[in-house]
Amino acid sequence: MATEKTDVVIIGVGAAGGILAAELGKAGMKVIGLERGPRLTTADFSSLDELRYFQRQDLRPNVKSQPVTWRPNANARAKPLSRLNYGNQAGGGTIHYGAVSWRLHEDDFRARSQTIERYGASAIPEDSSLIDWPLTYADLEPYYDRAEYEIGVSGKAGNVQGRKIEGGNVFEAPRRREFPLPPLQIDQAGAVFDAAARKLGYHPFSTPRTILSKPYQGRPGCTYCGFCQAFGCHIGAKSSILVTKLPEADATGNFQLLTGAMCYRVNSDNSGRVTGVSYYGPDGSDNTIEAEIVILTPFIYDNTRLLLLSKTGKFPDGLANSSGQVGKHLMTHIMARAFAAFDDRHINIYMGPSAQRHSIDDFNADNFDHSGLAFIRGAQISVIPAALEAGPIGTAVGMNPPPGIPRWGAAYRDFLAKYFTRYAGLNAQTENLPYADQTIDLDPDVRDQWGLPAPRLTYDWRRPNELARVEYMMRKLEALGRAMGATHVWRAPLNQGSPGAHHEGGTRMGSDPATSVVNRYGQSWDIPNLFIIGSSTHPTMSGFNPTLTIQALAYMSADAIVNRYKNNPGPLI
Amino acid sequence: MTKHDEARRAFLVRAALGAGAVAGAGLMPDVYAQNPEQRKEADASARPLSSGDGHGAFFNRDNAATIAAFAERLMPGAPGKPGASEAEVINYIDLALSGAYADLQDFYRRGLAQLDDYCRQTYNERFVRLDTARQDEVITALEEGKATGFTWPAAQAFFNTVRTHTIEGMFADPIYGGNKDFAGWRLVGFPGVQATFTTADMQSRQAFVRAPMIGLQAQAKDPKRGT
Repeated sequence: MATEKTDVVIIGVGAAGGILAAELGKAGMKVIGLERGPRLTTADFSSLDELRYFQRQDLRPNVKSQPVTWRPNANARAKPLSRLNYGNQAGGGTIHYGAVSWRLHEDDFRARSQTIERYGASAIPEDSSLIDWPLTYADLEPYYDRAEYEIGVSGKAGNVQGRKIEGGNVFEAPRRREFPLPPLQIDQAGAVFDAAARKLGYHPFSTPRTILSKPYQGRPGCTYCGFCQAFGCHIGAKSSILVTKLPEADATGNFQLLTGAMCYRVNSDNSGRVTGVSYYGPDGSDNTIEAEIVILTPFIYDNTRLLLLSKTGKFPDGLANSSGQVGKHLMTHIMARAFAAFDDRHINIYMGPSAQRHSIDDFNADNFDHSGLAFIRGAQISVIPAALEAGPIGTAVGMNPPPGIPRWGAAYRDFLAKYFTRYAGLNAQTENLPYADQTIDLDPDVRDQWGLPAPRLTYDWRRPNELARVEYMMRKLEALGRAMGATHVWRAPLNQGSPGAHHEGGTRMGSDPATSVVNRYGQSWDIPNLFIIGSSTHPTMSGFNPTLTIQALAYMSADAIVNRYKNNPGPLI
Repeated sequence: MTKHDEARRAFLVRAALGAGAVAGAGLMPDVYAQNPEQRKEADASARPLSSGDGHGAFFNRDNAATIAAFAERLMPGAPGKPGASEAEVINYIDLALSGAYADLQDFYRRGLAQLDDYCRQTYNERFVRLDTARQDEVITALEEGKATGFTWPAAQAFFNTVRTHTIEGMFADPIYGGNKDFAGWRLVGFPGVQATFTTADMQSRQAFVRAPMIGLQAQAKDPKRGT
């Protein structure tokens, strides 16, 4: 058993933790980062192996030794999820992600107010806990800009300081300047989608991605090999935390990364402060770190789990939980999906980077009039490969054949043989409103390899607002597929209520300590030297992927800690 | 099959492609097909180190024959269309069950026993002895959950698992024991790992015809060939 002392301990060195490690280290703070997985290198990603990385989920937590359970409602018994879609190594999910990097819309930060102003309070489902964020887009814009430039995002601006720019996303919130890198090259799938969307009067554009379209900061540009989502980038062109912020953190001389280190408790004293953390080492040893500041930045399940596991006599409901909000308002993106297959051309969608290639934003957020529709909020629509990666295993398991074609046998073989190179997927990444009874807590029966209770999700997205919106988006996808000139257009089946992608919520931020867990800086209302930073703090989710927002919030929190908290420890608000 | 064989066959495929390029460039995806002599040579190089019928690590002879027949019905071969047998899917599953999927050994044992019990009760024969039309009836009954007598694994679970593993054996890199001579990749026109796609490649409406396909083992030996 070892005990170390440091200024700051960070739990989970991924999208948020890596930024905080670098920025606090630069400010002279001594930082220890705990990472339960290994620290890999770009050289570790040289084997472009679909079985290993997509199908067997290397780079993700092992579902047997690190289970997460799910049940559709509180009366059902939870069962372990068969796939876990988050990272398990230094750099976290930014190693394997599709690197899609959005700024949220202005109205995403005020979804409640926007809805009431435009449609009246009755438009909000009665059981939804929809709220505004405790900050505005304008507050976060400088940090979005910093994240894009420091980490390296490729894209085309659609709104620079209010000036709309054709070819970019004209629905995006105003940005101070262009992206640091031009958009990635368009592929055949993107070109067909682009033409169809224009024909229908929409506004298509190249999806902004944290993948280098040109050499940048000593790293090479993308070679369009296609082994992107689910894979670590074998040349370092994907701007993961591993190749961007961790080298910066190393260079400060103030950062120490402990790998194979599983934090199981945040320690606190009777004065109401946290004193550090306890963790199991790779050899099973039980260790303690004493720290002035504890920052939780793991995937969202572990924020809630750690807070609940760290309960004491003083904090009987878990740390940071005087509001009773810890673990509530779990949201995930619902994926409505359709396929378009072509007899007159090849698409070769296995070429080119990432998941969401080319997009429209016409049906996201409140970018369209919801009057007369049975739902609020929207979805971000893109052209995609079947499994977000495009190899033959992912395509075969991710693309259901059209009606009339069986899932096996000669007809299925011929379907795959003909259309593997001749299809495009269409995806509506659909916002999930917050609901208080969509929760994360501790599973009473299932334990992980360390003997800790597994995180348990209670969740079913199939509520009236979400079902109506998914059906609306499905029809948009089918119309797009037909406008693309596809010979066949068909739907993918929807899942049976289980959690989708990009889990958010559980430690929501807010303006009121009575109804939220943290303030806008991720600082616990109850315990000022405890910070929780990541998508677990997002009060609402938008149809957009969360990572750039996680990163912008991490920069904002780092600034607040360095410029204000460091000199005057205490509540930042 | 061993990793050595995979690398050797990858080499032979490249050699065949070199010859093919002289004889008639631009035939795709047939350019990946070897001529009969080359095929024979590649097969000969593989055989001495495998058991000859694509298993030996986990399955007993009967079980291997059953899974091989099942997989071939899921992904049947035809002239110019490699199926599960040609891809040696059985070899992939056999190796996987002795390694990465060792926790599924009993799932397969019991699933296979239940499958043959069902076939005997329904047709008085084991699965492998049924004609292909009957085999398809059985598989349909599994897929639809209508096959009787299954407790654990359930019929649908067994079907889904064998289907998933057949897909893996068809399309995973040959280093894992299936996708023999890139049979699965040739079937669907996947070119395997390519270091770069140009803008022209990506915007083309034609089939992609640049060779060769390179397996993981060959890449590891000579990284310049792949990435």
